[in-house]
Amino acid sequence: MQMSNEMKSVPREDRIAAMVLHYEVERFYYDEAALLDSHRYEEWLALFADDAHYFMPIRRTRMQREMEKEFTKPGEMAFFDDTKTLLAGRIKKLGSGRSWAEDPPSRTRHLITNVRILKEDGSTFEVQSNFHLYRTRLNSEETSWIGSRRDVLRRVEGSFQIVDRKIFLEQTVLLSRNLSNFF
Amino acid sequence: MALANTEIDELVSLERGEVDRRIYTDPEIFELEMQRIFARSWLFLCHESQIPEPGDFFQSVMGRDNVLVVRQRDGSIKAMLNTCAHRGNAVCRAEEGNAKNFLCTYHGWSYGIDGRLNGVPGFKTFYDGQLDKSRHGLAQVAQVASYKGFVFGTHDASAPPLEEFLGATGRLGLDQIAARGDMVVVPGIQKFIIDCNWKIAVDNLFDWYHPQITHASAFQPGVMGTDTASAAEREKIDLSEVNMDSGAALDLPATGISGTKFDQVVVLGEYGHAIGGPTASSSGNSAFDTTWRSTAQARAALGPVGVEVAGHPNIFPTTWIAVSVQLSLRIPRDPGHTEIWWFTFVDRNLPRETRDFMVTIACRIFGPGGVLEQDDGENWAQATAQTRGIASRRMKHQLTMGLGRGKIIKEGGLSRIEGLTGEHGQLWTYHSWAQWMKGLSWDELKRVTTPGDFI
Repeated sequence: MQMSNEMKSVPREDRIAAMVLHYEVERFYYDEAALLDSHRYEEWLALFADDAHYFMPIRRTRMQREMEKEFTKPGEMAFFDDTKTLLAGRIKKLGSGRSWAEDPPSRTRHLITNVRILKEDGSTFEVQSNFHLYRTRLNSEETSWIGSRRDVLRRVEGSFQIVDRKIFLEQTVLLSRNLSNFF
Repeated sequence: MALANTEIDELVSLERGEVDRRIYTDPEIFELEMQRIFARSWLFLCHESQIPEPGDFFQSVMGRDNVLVVRQRDGSIKAMLNTCAHRGNAVCRAEEGNAKNFLCTYHGWSYGIDGRLNGVPGFKTFYDGQLDKSRHGLAQVAQVASYKGFVFGTHDASAPPLEEFLGATGRLGLDQIAARGDMVVVPGIQKFIIDCNWKIAVDNLFDWYHPQITHASAFQPGVMGTDTASAAEREKIDLSEVNMDSGAALDLPATGISGTKFDQVVVLGEYGHAIGGPTASSSGNSAFDTTWRSTAQARAALGPVGVEVAGHPNIFPTTWIAVSVQLSLRIPRDPGHTEIWWFTFVDRNLPRETRDFMVTIACRIFGPGGVLEQDDGENWAQATAQTRGIASRRMKHQLTMGLGRGKIIKEGGLSRIEGLTGEHGQLWTYHSWAQWMKGLSWDELKRVTTPGDFI
């Protein structure tokens, strides 16, 4: 409720600008999710900046007093630690016709919610969102990954580029056979 | 257990190169594995570099026992069962960290980092002082020992010492990491669950027949993230009448781990340890650095025969040393589920850039997001699933490649087979598995897992 009090003190035109920005970011994410769920990976890759970093740290069950060490950091081990070139390699693999773990392809649905713009400096934005990536494979395999993403987005020609994506899963031991999909 | 030794002998045939599919699915066999393999064998727990300071702990698994590996104040390492001596609750629920004590959150029994029972709520008021605290510490793992920083434990007090258990083959396996420098584990152990039997995940590490097919998509230039684009092309193996479901011929990249003229060496060791894969001089295009082998330190540690052995070692039963300078555990959870753990090693003195590259490649290749292991898991899960049908189960798994042509050369304390790709490493693992399953004495077990002249 503190938030709404804060909002009251913000001039109306600034509030409208914030809403427009929020709308633009959300729409960007919905379009991105649609690309992934329809396996249009080349177009998805084009959303990333050339210097992008795509990182999913390993999470560890730790005592409350050691929570600052819960996630690994860049330079330590991760589930994903990709540059744009490495992401392109994964897409090449998927398109090879011999990427057996994805043929028949997984069925996925990305649900993106709770979008919050944490920081902005005019041209770059730090955005946190929650996701639910639901996957089924073959006849009876079902995986649900829920977590949050923290992105750095850069404004480009009426849209955005993903400069940095950190993916935080709500799992420590990964409860699935592989991570053959994108988050 | 109802399973007689004669029945166990029927499950694995070294002569025919056949394995009964029942061993991947039968709950009775799984229970027997827990008793006769995982409650007896030395098992890898963690690396010393993970727990440098007093109170540092790492929670590991021995069979289905959860074990706390803890650095002591005098620098030594203890491993103890993570179960309260009172009513059995876990005394630690974190995977790793640093602790001054382990407190049972059920009734408050409090243990030191050495496992000693220090505090008992109501010791005077409720127990009237009538509790011998010295008898109710955390249970210590029967034996704990370290080989060049690799910490192992066994539940069997009568097991031979670790170095004897490892033998020349097991030690050579660990030396493939240790001889590279001052090795430390990179923070972050990848852990994930594959719905497969643990033995399918283990035997695959000796299988150099599958990479060119299973990993065909990963061996295209630019996918692995290593310099495969410039790697020398190999002469392809014969693929006559190998066609895809579309009708198209299966076309494989000529780079990566594939092709003919790919010299292999398989080392067979006592207790079921083995190493299988390319020779050092033949693995030149597999994108992994082999220059470290030419240092004086490495040559001395590996020995004249071992320096040429560049394949994948497995310390029986479940510890795999991968060419990516990683160690992987295949932890059985039930007949159809295996938890995979990846430990990644780097030389403490590497320049930052080289270290970062090694970490990136380790994340890239293996683990659930790895461009190799994601396709492996699919095969292993499906191979496990197809052991459940009554009719499917009547078909034996075939390990006949090179069968009867494996002449064993004994030199430098190692028993090795030279040649092209074969299935001797897998067969040796299953033969040894069957011997372990009989519950033999340690002497007898060693005798029947000592390689002969041929396989």
